[in-house]
Parts: sequence; C-alpha cells; structure tokens
Amino acid sequence: MPGNVTNTREIAKTQLWRENQVLRQILGICSSLAVTNSMKNSLVMGLGLSFVTALSSMTLSAMRDIIPHRVRMIVQTMVIAAYVILVDLALQAFLPDISKQLGPYVGLIITNCIIMGRAEAFAQKNPPLPAMWDGFFAGLGYTWVLLFIALIREVLGFGTVFGVNVDFIGFERWTIMIMPPAAFFIIGSMIWAMSARAQRLPTPNKK
Amino acid sequence: MKKGHIYTLVFMLALSTVLTLALALAYEGFKPNIAAHDDLKKERSVLYALGLDEGLTDEQVTDTFAKVVEPVEGQGYVYKQDGQVRGYAVPFTGAGLWGSITGYAGLSGEKDKLTGIVFTKQNETPGLGGRIDETEYREQFRNLPIAPGTLLSYGQHDGYRLDGITGATQTSNAVIRIINQMLSDHVFNEGVQ
Amino acid sequence: MPDINPLIIFLASIATSNMVLSNFLGMCSYLSVSSEYKTASGLGMAVTLVLVLTSALNWAVYTYLIVPLDLVYLQYVIFIIVIAALVQVLEMAMDRYTPDLHAKLGIFLPLITVNCAILGATLFMVIRSYGFVQSVLYGLGSGLGWWLAISMLAAMREKLAKAKLPPGMSGPAISFIITGIMAMAFIGFSGIFTIQ
Repeated sequence: MPGNVTNTREIAKTQLWRENQVLRQILGICSSLAVTNSMKNSLVMGLGLSFVTALSSMTLSAMRDIIPHRVRMIVQTMVIAAYVILVDLALQAFLPDISKQLGPYVGLIITNCIIMGRAEAFAQKNPPLPAMWDGFFAGLGYTWVLLFIALIREVLGFGTVFGVNVDFIGFERWTIMIMPPAAFFIIGSMIWAMSARAQRLPTPNKK
Repeated sequence: MKKGHIYTLVFMLALSTVLTLALALAYEGFKPNIAAHDDLKKERSVLYALGLDEGLTDEQVTDTFAKVVEPVEGQGYVYKQDGQVRGYAVPFTGAGLWGSITGYAGLSGEKDKLTGIVFTKQNETPGLGGRIDETEYREQFRNLPIAPGTLLSYGQHDGYRLDGITGATQTSNAVIRIINQMLSDHVFNEGVQ
Repeated sequence: MPDINPLIIFLASIATSNMVLSNFLGMCSYLSVSSEYKTASGLGMAVTLVLVLTSALNWAVYTYLIVPLDLVYLQYVIFIIVIAALVQVLEMAMDRYTPDLHAKLGIFLPLITVNCAILGATLFMVIRSYGFVQSVLYGLGSGLGWWLAISMLAAMREKLAKAKLPPGMSGPAISFIITGIMAMAFIGFSGIFTIQ
C-alpha cells in the first residue's frame, strides 16, 4: 500500500475494505477477539481503538519533525499509552459496567499493532490531518470486523443482538460460539474469503 | 535528522512532563465521577441482594439505601423498616478460578432464605465463568431456602433447583463453595448481629 | 491476594487458560513468526524469559511504587516503559555475557516489547491482585503456554507448506483454523484442576 495517499475518501476506502488492517494486514488481532462474544463490548472496544489510533496518529504526525529518531518507538508507545489511559478513565467515569467487563483489554489497546503500524507506516510521512483520518478509518475497519464476528457469535451463542433477544424460534444455544475456538474459526474464514477474492481479481492499484 | 544526546534527553523529559501533567489533570477531572459510580454500584448491589432494587433510578437507589439500610460493624448491612429487621446483606469473598470472587448475599430477616446474591468483583473467564454475573444465573438464588447444617448444591432438590454454568464447572463450584462457607461462618455459627 | 495455590495458577495458565488459545494474546507475532518450527520455538523461549522477568519486576513496581504513590491511573504507561526498558537491558546483557544465546534469541527481543502477551500477563496479574509467588508462576506458566502453542502451530505449518490448500487459504487463514482446532482441544483440559 503506498503511504502517500492523502485523499480522505481514498483513505477511507483503503482502510475500511481494500487493505483492512485485520483482514488483509492481519494486525491487531490480539485484543480484538477476546471481546467478540458481545456486540456491545466489541463496539466500545472498536470505537476506543479508533479514537486512540486517530489521535495518536495525528499527534505523532504533528511531532514527526521534532522526535529524535533513536527514541521513536518509545515516544510512540508513550503517546499511545497516554491516549489509552484517557479512554480508560472516560470509560470508568461514564460507562462503568462496560469498563468492568472489558477489564484489562482496554489497557491492551496499547499493544494493538494497528496503532503502532499506522504511526510507522503513515503518520511518519504525512501531515496531521490525513494521518488522523487514516488512523480513524483504520480503527473503523477494525470495528466493523469485530462487530461482524460478534454478531455471529452473539446470535448463535446467546440468541441476542446487542443484548436484545432475537431468538424467535427458540433454538438451542450454541455454546461453542461463546468460547474462544469460534472466534478463531470465524476470523479464519473471513480472512480466507478476503484473500481468495483478492487473488481472483487483480486490482490495478495493488502493488 | 541528526540530533544530539542532550536534545533527546530534553525531548524525553519534556514529553514525559507534558503527558503526565495532562493525564493527572484528566484523572482529577474524572475522579468525582468514578467515585460516585463506585458508591452507586455498591448501593445498588446491596439493594439487589435484598431484592429491593427493582425499577429504581440511580437517585432512588441512593435515597432508598440511605433510608432502609444500615451498616453493621464488619458484617455488611442490615435492612430495617419501621424499626423491624427485614433482612441482611452479608459480604462474601473467596477464591474463584482466576482470582477472588467478591459480593453480597441478601438474607431474609428470619435467616431462612437467601433473597439474592450479587458479585461486586470477579475475574473469571469472560463468556464462561464470567457468566455468573448474568441475571439468569444470579436470579436462581432468589428466595433460595437455607437452613443451618445443610449445604447448597447444584441440581434438583426439595424446594429449589440450581444450575451451574455449562463449560464453567470450576467457577460454578467456587461460587457454591464460597456461599456455603459464608453461610456457615457468618450466618449460622456466629450470626449476624 | 486470592487464596489460590500458585501451582494451580501455573498449570491453569499453561493449559486451561492458555494465553493464545483462550485469551487471544500475543497473536501478532504468533501468526507472523510461526512458519518455521525452529524460529518459533526460539521466540517462545524468549517470550517465556521476558514474561517471568516482567511479571516479577512489574509486581514489585506495582506494589512498592504505583500503589503507595497513588499512580494507578498511570499504570499502563509505567508498565510498558518497564517492559521496554527490561527488554533493552536484557538484550545488552545477553550480547555481552551470553553471545550464543543472544545470537539465538536477540533478533526476537525487539518484537517482544509490543507483544500483547507480556503486557496482558502484567495487567491480569494486577487485576487479580496476585501475590509475588503467584505472579511469577503465572508469568512462567503463561510463557510456557505461549511457547507450546506457537511451537505446535509452527510444526503443523511446516507440514502444511507441502499440502494443497484451497486458494486464499494458505498463510493466516489456515493458521486461524488450526488455532481454532487447538483451542477446542484445549477446552478438554478444563476441569482437571480443582480449586480446593
């Protein structure tokens, strides 16, 4: 993916679909799968990550000329961690129940490779505003993948969508869906579908 | 981009200072909110265990709590109405699969049944043991008959039925063990004052 | 401090609550460094070493620095800096005193700072308020569990390199499917360890 696309629409298309961080770059899986047995948690987690990625990309891009090269990584980590702490505090203050359920996974946003990846690949070479959009859409791309996985898991495992009962026929709950293996199977299949599709159509703007 | 050691050092110091200050400010700003939530959560938990929280808004919870519940020295809370003891909320804690499970159990005034249990802290596996926090599981403990010398257990019994959580046997067993322990230590042997 | 036998925490963190297979932590390097058994195993060893050391160090930092100074809200930053610094020191120390080991593990060390399993173990240990021995054994168990998972995946992927897979399936997709099957097998462990 060329790192110099600065058109917001292009960035959105790239990050949401074509080069989706989770499905195509296989990044950021760590903290993502654990929360996908509930759509509500996935949404909050996804939005939290979008916020952190957008703002840290913007901040790091604004500082890109004054950051000493040698300590780049640690500066990136510190800025990211600061934004994650903000998100964590805000969750504790306004959504205490969700904050409790997400537990350590909010803190783990720090080590989510998407944020660091965008900071390295895009924010370093681009001005703050495109960097912010790039980070934001990378986060949204991650959010929809999480929500999709959570939709399958929550409907089949609990019979609910966002906690609202949608089980009109009274089927047997599929316990494996709320356990970890289901997350692996679903994301594996999604990645498979995406790369099979990418192999079939040779897109001109892919390297 | 050639910059010296001094520059790097100054830069890192400045960055750390700015970040720490910003976060400290944010923390101070959010703190009252977080503390208020913690209090409210505790009050709602105690009322839930006593079966009194239904349909209450947050303000009503604080009001009701102040009106009918009194703390007991080291032993949780007592629920009084018109000077009469109607129930107790007894704290419990014990080892789960991953960490401590902590919460309150509500008892009727005669100590012949549980009015409900609630967890204030648990770190069981999300989606498995963590499901003890779901209403479906907790509601099973509503009006469960208890008596000195008998232990609660899962399955169909005279007068009640309790189900553990599929795939989370360890956590389910831990909960029962903690509740039984709490009953025999704090309710029947020593008694709630 | 919960009253749980540290040995049970150790065993459970390898089998029933494996870092990768049930907590989904450390996935990035788990997927990207698992095409060759030898490399994967080397990374596993390095992760285990760092996990044990950071668990001990972060436990001390949390108990003697963060809590007394009321800095809990800054804990993420502090933990990540401790991890980064430890990895750096470890790399320099290895380079100097055990060049053999450094040649073997050195290349993995920078990767480890951003491995979620390390920070994850620290956060879990803090949130569950483990004592020192519990924390260290939890770190060790988590590391061994991670090592086991990545070695198994890498061993299978070596064989799969010769297999004929449907288009688009090779690489990450098949790795996830294998991981899913492994996770299912590991569910079988639950119930072995009894809490007294």
